[in-house]
Amino acid sequence: MNSGSPVRFENVSKRFRTPKGTWYQALANLDFEIKAGEFVSLVGPTGCGKSTALTLLAGLEQPSIGSVQVNGKDVIKIDTSTGFVFQHDATFPWMNVYNNIAAGPKFRGLKNHDTLVRTWIAKVGLTGFESNYPHQLSGGMKKRVALAQALINEPSLLLMDEPFSALDVQTRSIMTDELVSIWESTGSTVVFVTHDLEEAIALSDRVLVLTAGPAKVKANFQIDLPRPRKARDIRFTEEFLKIYQDIWSVLRDEVDITYQRQLIAPGNEK
Amino acid sequence: MAEDFLSEATIKRNRNKHRIKIHSLQLGLAVLLLGSWQLMADHKILDPFFYGRPSGVMHQLGVWITNGTSIGSLWINAWVTFYEATYGFLAGVILGIIFGVFLARNPTAAEIFAPYIKVSNSIPRVVLGSIFILWLGLGSVSKVALAFVLVFFPVFFNAFQGTREADHKLIANARLLGASPRQVTTKVIFPSALSWITASMHVSFGFALIGAIVGEFLGAQRGLGLLIATAQGNFNPNGVYAAMLLIAIMALTAEWLITKLENRLLNWRPTQVSGTEL
Repeated sequence: MNSGSPVRFENVSKRFRTPKGTWYQALANLDFEIKAGEFVSLVGPTGCGKSTALTLLAGLEQPSIGSVQVNGKDVIKIDTSTGFVFQHDATFPWMNVYNNIAAGPKFRGLKNHDTLVRTWIAKVGLTGFESNYPHQLSGGMKKRVALAQALINEPSLLLMDEPFSALDVQTRSIMTDELVSIWESTGSTVVFVTHDLEEAIALSDRVLVLTAGPAKVKANFQIDLPRPRKARDIRFTEEFLKIYQDIWSVLRDEVDITYQRQLIAPGNEK
Repeated sequence: MAEDFLSEATIKRNRNKHRIKIHSLQLGLAVLLLGSWQLMADHKILDPFFYGRPSGVMHQLGVWITNGTSIGSLWINAWVTFYEATYGFLAGVILGIIFGVFLARNPTAAEIFAPYIKVSNSIPRVVLGSIFILWLGLGSVSKVALAFVLVFFPVFFNAFQGTREADHKLIANARLLGASPRQVTTKVIFPSALSWITASMHVSFGFALIGAIVGEFLGAQRGLGLLIATAQGNFNPNGVYAAMLLIAIMALTAEWLITKLENRLLNWRPTQVSGTEL
């Protein structure tokens, strides 16, 4: 249907100006491709540039060198066929649950969106909470709003930046399960950034391990666990533990490098 | 030993007791202050010719209400001051918001205008009252203009700052969800700047009243400011206090309305902290 891969990073480097006036390089020659409908996690040590890769994909920033392509086209501005779930709460505090979820269709001028909105409210289990404002919701419920808000636009590419990192462990595992089941029904391409390895393995078709910043791809793991998955149960199987150990042995060196750097130059992390 | 929670009735009774205590102390303080003023004036410790007295103020109000003032009916004068302040306030708030949001959204325009805004903000704006009277005459328009310039700047700066501080994540999110730049302004920027804007509105109705009254001091045919100037000319301190009392009532009423509006506009906020709640 589309020419070229849904997502392609070609030799991408990105640097930022720091407040001190020096340059900070977040990505160096990042090179990878993602197939249509694939769920790919980017894992890597803190501050390695995972989130930067997502902001480039969303068109919120442009690469300094190289090109980022979505569906065969260079990303040069915000593309509204991309959905984004932010790490921190990005629901609109002055809109209730209904209006937050309806925001996309309303912005796009979609007529008769009521049924669609109600369907999504039901899908993320928020029926009955339509008129609540975000501050009246728990962390997990806010995440559901954010999820429905992004998915209601039927994005061909969904980007998620550590979406569950602010949740407690139990809520996180429930949300992971729900994300799996919702995603399996939509089939969009997902790039998921996390530093929780269990979460990455439970969710993904493929895990890319990035190096300590500036990030490049260090290793690529295919996750062949059967679907549909139940994230909460799968993590105790032998295959899961095997994959976990394999990935961790690669990731660990990078985590060490990052940690050593922070000891040498405190306050230099991004 | 089993203990029970306090019953609803007890909690309510305790709360009422507390409220009655506070109110009676507040009332007592007022009686004490006004009473000692009255007594000191009656015993010539304070010369009533210069300092007036509470009973004189009430008498003055009574005369104004029943017989009218030297410059016409009291209600007409109060009304004139009120609408001058209100028009100036509304114009200042509306234009302050428009310019504040516009400049914050257009960094180039903001850079061009920055020195002009700094200069015009540094002029003590009350002196503009004289210019406005020369330009616009002794009628109400010159007072509305003065109230407007006093209100415009605080609202402008707050709207500007509020817009600048709007969460970049929310803006990015709105754009990814498909919002046009115009929708970003109306649906994201404006609501997030609104708590800044309403905070400035609390202060600025006071400024609008100052503008109207100073304008009337400088030259007018009607208004409470003129009434105060006349009372001052006649060595009538009770007249000055009586007009002050009316102005205070006006300011408190406006404050109450603004708080109502604020609570209504910002009903999505977790806590309702209004700027002037002491």
